[in-house]
Amino acid sequence: MAFGTKRISDLEYLGLSPFQRFLYRLTCFLVSLPGALARGVENGAKTVARFLKIVWRELADLVMTFVNGDAYTRLSYLIMGAGNAARGQYLRAACFFLAQAAFNVYLFLFGWPYLSKLGTLGTVETTKVGRKTVYGDNSFFILLYSLLTIFLIVLFVYLWHSNIRQSRKSYEMKKAGKHLATAKEDLASLLDGQFHKTLLALPMAGITAFTFLPIVFMILVAFTNFDKTHQPPGKLFTWVGLDNFREMFTTSTSRYASTFSEVLTWTLIWAFFATFLNYFLGMIVAIMINKKGIRFKKMWRTILVMTIAIPQFVSLLYVSKMFASDGLINSYLLKWGWIKTPLPFWTKASWARITIICINVWIGIPYAMLICTGILMNIPADLYESARIDGANAFQAYVKITLPYMLFVTGPYLLTSFIGNINNFNVIYLLTQGSPKGMELESPAGYTDLLITWLYKMTVDNTEYRLAAVIGIAVFVLTAVTSLIVYNSIPSVRNEEDFQ
Amino acid sequence: MKKFLSMLLAVAMLLTVCAFSVAETTGFDGEIKVWVADAAVEFTKAQIDAFKAANAEYANMTVTVEPMGEGDAATAMITDVESGADIYGFAQDQLSRLVAAGALEEVAPDNVPLVTAENDAGSVAAATLGDVMYAYPLTSDNGYFLYYDKSVVTDPNTLETIIADCEKAGKGFYMEINSGWYQTAFFFGAGCTLTYDVNNEGSLVACHCDYASENGVKALKAMISVAKSPAFSNASSASNATNIGAIVDGAWDAKTVQEKLGDNYAATKLPTVAGYQMGGFGGFKLLGVKPQTDDAKLAACDALAYYLASGDVQAARYDALQWGPSNLEAQKLDAIQTNAALSALAAQLSHCVGQGQYPNDYWSLATALADSVIAGEYDNYTDEQLLEVLQTFQDTAISYAAN
Repeated sequence: MAFGTKRISDLEYLGLSPFQRFLYRLTCFLVSLPGALARGVENGAKTVARFLKIVWRELADLVMTFVNGDAYTRLSYLIMGAGNAARGQYLRAACFFLAQAAFNVYLFLFGWPYLSKLGTLGTVETTKVGRKTVYGDNSFFILLYSLLTIFLIVLFVYLWHSNIRQSRKSYEMKKAGKHLATAKEDLASLLDGQFHKTLLALPMAGITAFTFLPIVFMILVAFTNFDKTHQPPGKLFTWVGLDNFREMFTTSTSRYASTFSEVLTWTLIWAFFATFLNYFLGMIVAIMINKKGIRFKKMWRTILVMTIAIPQFVSLLYVSKMFASDGLINSYLLKWGWIKTPLPFWTKASWARITIICINVWIGIPYAMLICTGILMNIPADLYESARIDGANAFQAYVKITLPYMLFVTGPYLLTSFIGNINNFNVIYLLTQGSPKGMELESPAGYTDLLITWLYKMTVDNTEYRLAAVIGIAVFVLTAVTSLIVYNSIPSVRNEEDFQ
Repeated sequence: MKKFLSMLLAVAMLLTVCAFSVAETTGFDGEIKVWVADAAVEFTKAQIDAFKAANAEYANMTVTVEPMGEGDAATAMITDVESGADIYGFAQDQLSRLVAAGALEEVAPDNVPLVTAENDAGSVAAATLGDVMYAYPLTSDNGYFLYYDKSVVTDPNTLETIIADCEKAGKGFYMEINSGWYQTAFFFGAGCTLTYDVNNEGSLVACHCDYASENGVKALKAMISVAKSPAFSNASSASNATNIGAIVDGAWDAKTVQEKLGDNYAATKLPTVAGYQMGGFGGFKLLGVKPQTDDAKLAACDALAYYLASGDVQAARYDALQWGPSNLEAQKLDAIQTNAALSALAAQLSHCVGQGQYPNDYWSLATALADSVIAGEYDNYTDEQLLEVLQTFQDTAISYAAN
């Protein structure tokens, strides 16, 4: 290569041809990658160290509080709210005490029986007494409720800790002769100084119970043998360590690894085309409609937006029938004598993939067009004027003015739509259900399956929850890594002032 | 004293006997949930009312009937056994999956000899795993045969002429060869076998497959030549077919085909292809009972399931829904003997094997094979290369039984 890996000056950079610039930037990116990774690891380690330090400090603090505190503060280590009660803060004391009581009741009556079996996920098999079925342990509930219990224990420890801190604080404030908040003031603060807590309590509880808990549950399933032959309540499942990951990612044991790479490759190809093809074509359409001298602008836009108005469930299912071997398109082509045999739109892997991308363009252009139209109108016209005076032609104006501006403004949109396309279940499932299948692929994957549709079929058709969970984790890693790298390198984030 | 003791013993015995007989006849007055196909909901409700009227001990139980397709019932049951139905209809290929997941109770031992005697042998075999009967046969009509347009097809006896006729008339020949179910028409007809041995718990223990053979190559070549025809469409659902010249479909679509073909409607057994008679699967619908934690409820479920699968109800079901019965007495009814679709099915069933248990992966594998055929990947293959393809197929099919 003409230049090495060391950075070159701005002047040298400007002297390069566009292709060389691209090469240079690519090289810089690749060279910086190991350093960035190392920094990432380093930062991670630092965060852990900082966290451990905080924990250590808090533990030391707890001991010191116990040594230095009065009898009531010491009592509140055992009975929550004792310190507050001694200082006359009865409402807080009652809340702490009730929380402790409720937690103990929950733990011993409900949580502990499950939590104690978390290590094995249950050992009591289902048996028959005569013809009656007596169910044994239910591994599913053991895992789920153990998790819930662990969450509640963490919450309880937090409450317990703040109980001690409050006890100490109120002790110190009382000693210093300061005013302690009364019950009335506490309540009032919930609508004033502490209003954020009031507002966020319900959403936080909801997110923890309905989003966070299931996610952790599904991650844990990847480490168990929960599948069609280990199905609660009739059968138990248990921990298997990394076996599922081994099965999914090593080539020697099964065809899962090759299938995974096939599906992953297609997922990325699909996401790339579905995002950028739609984006650029949409932009071109928007520019064409925006052009001075084009008449009936609103009509053209309306025609294109019609595809948005029709639900995808209707339009995609219909289009998939249209392209079938006995569908509208093939039968007319046959009738007109243009082809002898039906075109294999859905039956050949490569055809199916191209057809899907093309159909997606048809669905996607209107969205991209709408977004681009708004932004295009925002580009200052004087930029174009001065470009024209300088002798730039339309293409140059597009590359030098329109495109950078668009990319700057829509960078985050492109990223989210790329991530969205990695998980674009609707289009694939409604058009092909992942078919055609191939003998080289592990069932139930097909050549147009994305990771997400493969996961769906694996769960619903094959009851392979353990492997589906592994794929779920893989999808998460894929989207998270892509998001982080791209987000940190798009101009909208790095040079915020550029276009203001 | 001795007298007193013996008296006591006698009373105790009497009490026990009473207790037992009371347990036998108290019946059940709780709730039972039943899943049947959407079309059969009203019919089933009426039959359950008749059952309650005839059996006083069950008169007070509450039975709810919910629609659930036989194809989906197994998945829904396995996903959540506890909230699933107590009695549910399902397609018999799901039997081992349900048993393995612990979602199916054995048929009450008292009912086994009755059910065995009353239903045709194929359906009884389909309801049995190893030597345990797990479900009540409901129908014996899940097979496929040929519907054709009399004005298009001149001779429905050989597939080659059927396809040539369809091509000439610009009509379609429909057969979903990428379904593991329809595909066996080629392989089984050519003399190949593919079966799995299943133990009493529903796990696959062995696979018998000889697709990688001369017969297999013959069948695969027949498939390839069919798929090459411009008239061919890989579909067997009459309601979605737009241009029927001939279609391989089942009795459940008889009405639809009749509507589409009008006076030209005809049905017959499958034709011959490459000189051999096409075969296939005979299939059955079954009624299963979920494992119960309560003896009384289990007894009630058994009684109700037995009733819903009995000969009279099967005959009534034919009248209401046109579902072909598995009950031997019901099969002899005139209405069934003269039904065009059902008699075509009966003619075809003699060339079919009862469908045993297949892993879900088999259906995927079969789809994969035929997808490649339809995509034209094997069009120029030599016999050796085709044999290699079938060897891969066979090895993969066998590997499913290994784990």
